[in-house]
Amino acid sequence: MTSGRPWVQAWRGGTYLLGSLVTGIATLLALPLLCHPRLARRWANWHRDRAGRLLETPLAPRPVLHVMGRRAWADPATPRDLLWLPVNAITGVALGLLALLCVGNLLTAAVATPLWWAFAPENRPRLFIDVPVTNWATAFTLGALQILLLTALAYLAFAPIARAHARICLVVLSHSAAEQLADRVAVLTRTRADVLDAHGAELRRIERDLHDGTQARLVAIAMRLAVARRALSDNPRNEQFLEELLRDAHEGTEEAMTELRDVIRSVYPPILADRGLTGALTAVTARCGVPTRLDIDNLDTVPAAVEAAVYFAVAEALTNVAKHSQATTAGVRVSRKADRLSVVITDNGAGGADDRLGTGLAGIRRRVLAFDGTVDVDSPAGGPTTIIMELPCGS
Amino acid sequence: MRVVIAEDNVLLATGLELLLNSVGFHIAAIAGDAAGFLTAVRDHRPDVTIVDVRLPPSFRDEGIRAALQARREHPGLPVLVLSQYVEQQYAAELLATTGGGVGYLLKDRVSRVDEFVDALRRVAAGGTAMDTEVIAQLLANRSDPIAVLTPREREVLALMAQGHDNNTIADRLVITDNAVHKHIGNIFNKLGLAVTDSGHRRVLAVLTYLNGAGQIDGD
Repeated sequence: MTSGRPWVQAWRGGTYLLGSLVTGIATLLALPLLCHPRLARRWANWHRDRAGRLLETPLAPRPVLHVMGRRAWADPATPRDLLWLPVNAITGVALGLLALLCVGNLLTAAVATPLWWAFAPENRPRLFIDVPVTNWATAFTLGALQILLLTALAYLAFAPIARAHARICLVVLSHSAAEQLADRVAVLTRTRADVLDAHGAELRRIERDLHDGTQARLVAIAMRLAVARRALSDNPRNEQFLEELLRDAHEGTEEAMTELRDVIRSVYPPILADRGLTGALTAVTARCGVPTRLDIDNLDTVPAAVEAAVYFAVAEALTNVAKHSQATTAGVRVSRKADRLSVVITDNGAGGADDRLGTGLAGIRRRVLAFDGTVDVDSPAGGPTTIIMELPCGS
Repeated sequence: MRVVIAEDNVLLATGLELLLNSVGFHIAAIAGDAAGFLTAVRDHRPDVTIVDVRLPPSFRDEGIRAALQARREHPGLPVLVLSQYVEQQYAAELLATTGGGVGYLLKDRVSRVDEFVDALRRVAAGGTAMDTEVIAQLLANRSDPIAVLTPREREVLALMAQGHDNNTIADRLVITDNAVHKHIGNIFNKLGLAVTDSGHRRVLAVLTYLNGAGQIDGD
């Protein structure tokens, strides 16, 4: 869990413990102030981050408390923030003192062994707590022994003790299972509402496209054909009028077909239906104006809706690459680990991609978030740009 | 000219039959699926075939695969693929088979009878017929090198890529054969392509250029 050579670990553990002593004393001194929920939260989060760093455990961020007054007191995590105050005061001071004693006596021995004679006879330094050093023999034997023992103690014990303190911190401040569940439900409720909104908007758009476009065109064609049939029996027959009607009707059918094709493409890309995600992404990357490499694992079965989201997201991202990035190469990597589908899109372009500039990234984010996925965009000015999407793809 | 059609939709199949009969083609067989199509091709040895991309049982890309299979079995068998939508990937796969005589058109084009029949005859004669949509997709994605072409040269390039010969290009653009010849020379120069004779090889060179430049082959 903790990396580095043993002495590095011991050093980190020692500084952590001495730091804990300081924060433990600070907690005691500032106790009345820290009982305020918002300050307690910040204080607790700072400790939790510090413990996470020592243990090298990635932690889900704990929210900062923004609410005031009674609602702050009613926050489910507030009791734990407050509990952390005495726990930190006691464990931090106790374990920190242990480290301080060890370090202090090491320094005493280090000073006493060569310099015992420089102290006044009634004020000679003492080793092993209470043995005064009065000659070189005791100075060397006891001094070396004390340095050896305490160094061994620090070497062996600092790292595990520091880790124990860090674990206590994480235990006190981590979410309970019930709270994690509550958080999850809150997230899912929100994304589900987004999905329903997006779905509804999509249905309305399709309905509008078909109603205003294709259906209206078919009506116009039918009317022209009806007029043409009547005109057939006119005497004399107006050939030019008939010709015009039929030509308009014919052109109308072609326009209707073009519109219908666009609607179909926007509902579910035909290439995806034909060839699945691998085939569809192959087509999309081949079509990209910037040379694009596609690496795609065997994905097994992925729900059609997720496939469509990935397809549209990759197509959108590659459109951005071709339009804005000035990249000369790009890459798309799709892989699956258990029930998570991961899509990484990279380009060697100018970077600076931003949700607020244009709608491309925002659209990608909306599509992916709708499936409870995540989108990370790393695009420093000057490039390169990396977009990482993850979507759950379990059944 | 004898035609074998692979089309499962009865409405469209009878429509095609009606249309082709009216302009003097003979429909040797209409198959409803890929296996039936391959059998009909073996039995009838048609002069040209028309294949719908989506066929039973799964209505995915069975038609493309049947067309490729038929061309493997009968090298140079003229195949015109019809589809409700255009996917340049399919065009690339068809063109990758050896020999000429391939076409890939939107189904909508059938209603322009003269142009459709012209395309079908071109394919039957070993030429190429690529939908304007395919070419438009290719041109849209290859902005950089294409930018050096003049608008007129781009028009000539598009018509050339669709599979038209110099005469037709001259007619369509209302210019002389000589002018077409000059434009084509300029295009090949600017794009750094070796000049090839007219016909399928020229189409292939242009399409390969348009298609290939935007792609790195993964392994």
